[in-house]
Amino acid sequence: MAEETLLLLKNIRTPGYTGDLAAYQKAGGSKAWEKVLKSMKPAEVIEVLKASGLRGRGGAGFPCGMKWSFMPPPSDKPHYLVCNADESEPGTFKDHLIMLNDPHEFLEGMMIGCYAMNSHHGYIYIRGESQHAIKRVQQAIDELYKAKLLGKNILGGGFDLHLTVHPGAGAYICGEETAMLDSLEGKRGQPRSKPPFPAQSGFDACPTTVNNVETLANVPFILNQGAEAFAALGPANNAGTQCVSISGHVAKPGVYEVEMGHNLKSLIYDYAGGIRGGKKLKAVIPGGASAGILRPDEIDIPYDFDNLMKAGTMRGSGAIMVFDEDTDVVRLAERTIRFFNHESCGQCTPCREGTFWLKNMVRQFMDDAGDEALAKRMERAAFQIGGTTICAFGDAVSGPMMAFVRKFPEEFAKHYAS
Amino acid sequence: MAKVGFSDAVLKEVNTLFERYPKKVHALLPVLHIAQRENAGWLPEGWDAYVAELCETTLNHVRGVITFYNMYKTTPVGRHHIMVCTCLPCGLCGGTEVLEHLEHRLGIKSGNVTPDGQFSLEESQCLAACDQAPLMMVNEDLQKRITLEEIDRWIDEARAKKA
Ligand SMILES: Cc1cc2nc3c(=O)[nH]c(=O)nc-3n(C[C@H](O)[C@H](O)[C@H](O)COP(=O)(O)O)c2cc1C
Ligand code: SF4
Ligand code: FES
Repeated sequence: MAEETLLLLKNIRTPGYTGDLAAYQKAGGSKAWEKVLKSMKPAEVIEVLKASGLRGRGGAGFPCGMKWSFMPPPSDKPHYLVCNADESEPGTFKDHLIMLNDPHEFLEGMMIGCYAMNSHHGYIYIRGESQHAIKRVQQAIDELYKAKLLGKNILGGGFDLHLTVHPGAGAYICGEETAMLDSLEGKRGQPRSKPPFPAQSGFDACPTTVNNVETLANVPFILNQGAEAFAALGPANNAGTQCVSISGHVAKPGVYEVEMGHNLKSLIYDYAGGIRGGKKLKAVIPGGASAGILRPDEIDIPYDFDNLMKAGTMRGSGAIMVFDEDTDVVRLAERTIRFFNHESCGQCTPCREGTFWLKNMVRQFMDDAGDEALAKRMERAAFQIGGTTICAFGDAVSGPMMAFVRKFPEEFAKHYAS
Repeated sequence: MAKVGFSDAVLKEVNTLFERYPKKVHALLPVLHIAQRENAGWLPEGWDAYVAELCETTLNHVRGVITFYNMYKTTPVGRHHIMVCTCLPCGLCGGTEVLEHLEHRLGIKSGNVTPDGQFSLEESQCLAACDQAPLMMVNEDLQKRITLEEIDRWIDEARAKKA
């Protein structure tokens, strides 16, 4: 296998690493937290984050330092940082790798984020099915309280901080940040119209920032090694490394850490071992179920936010799903729309009705009862969901469903009525 | 109807939970999880109203939440609650075959419980372990890269243990 560029997974790749606090500290952990508490002002931390160029790893790639700077100055309202550990985008499993094997890394990043945004309480929202991750992260938090790295007057610096694990209960939409905030308030997870943005009115109507696990896991490195060291990795505007989840018909599915901008084809062939059973490649979905599908001749591109967007799809959560020559692309479309139809929160008509119609259309192809007009209708229905909804879920349905029909017309033609 | 309400020990647990949130209702999801844990994995009649009272909210609010989230159950689940991922990519990496095999072996369709109450089966969306496909989750335990033979063995063992 080709070498990984280890920044986030360095500890995890060290044989025998246990991930408990002692092991984390032995590997140099907790230093950034101490440094920040002892020698930096919150605004200085945000400046470092801005200079690093770190972009969010949860899906949208929003600049992390800028997001933190949107938080208002301290007032009588509490501030909150919520860590998005919902990880429900089909094909994505890198946050679980981090949570289960090196939880202190993202927790340290989260603590630094809380300090930078004057937040004294952070919530880690973990999907409810992942009891193993919930237990592991709770155990790590208990260790931090015991070591007095969390709690009141931490390290005598006068800063108080509490972290709480909050379990979800099985709803993909709760990964969307405003749905997550409603869910954290004990409500149904239905996305909110913006504005107001969470930095103005988030959890409990107080200033709130939501960040993904992997995003936060980068923070200790940036404070220890400096913004320049981080910015030096990856192409311009796409700094750092990325933990890429590769699944499907590859020989070695798993998470691989590479620089941003690493070639997509190389990820599949040099890291994930190529197509299993020596088969040929048929298609790649490069950024979770919300990303448009690519044909084999389209994957020789740098894998990062900007280049994937240029290719008409997206990097999303960094989940690459690979499918071999025996795959029926219509079935891929069927699995995808079944997922979205099941998970739509139902607030917006185009999303609620559109996912239902699309599901029925794809099923007609599955029953070998399609025709060219139906394929056109499907594409148009998918197009019309885009840009018309409260949250980005609508676009997440629209993009991939259009791409299936546009990129693989011959696959749909196999399911025309004879 | 069995008694509705937490024991003193569990109430203490719930109260420490409340302290972590600005309002009690914020803890509704974890409290409902605890209620299910105390009731063999589901919410029998009356628990929605009890939890509403405890979390200082309305019954309709709690019912809305229970029906929104997949993990809350208003009918009994089996002693072994099995979730099989048939999402994308698992569905194309053996997940569908695992589900069909389980339906056949247990004699129930997804969404049902075996008459002896031992097994319940649920088709699930992505469980964030796609590199381990095909997989099933039995209660809290993730069984990875499972084969049909392993499933047969597991069912036989689970049945034998009961008998
Ligand atoms: C439908 C939908 C589902 C999402 N699911 C997740 C998720 O599971 N995990 C995640 O980190 N972000 C998810 N996001 C993105 C979040 O809304 C948010 O952008 C992200 O957590 C911000 O963190 P970041 O800036 O660190 O990436 C989702 C977005 C949408 C629209
Ligand atoms: S786009 Fe879909 S998921 Fe998002 S708010 Fe509207 S109905 Fe809900
Ligand atoms: S698709 Fe099955 S675990 Fe992700």
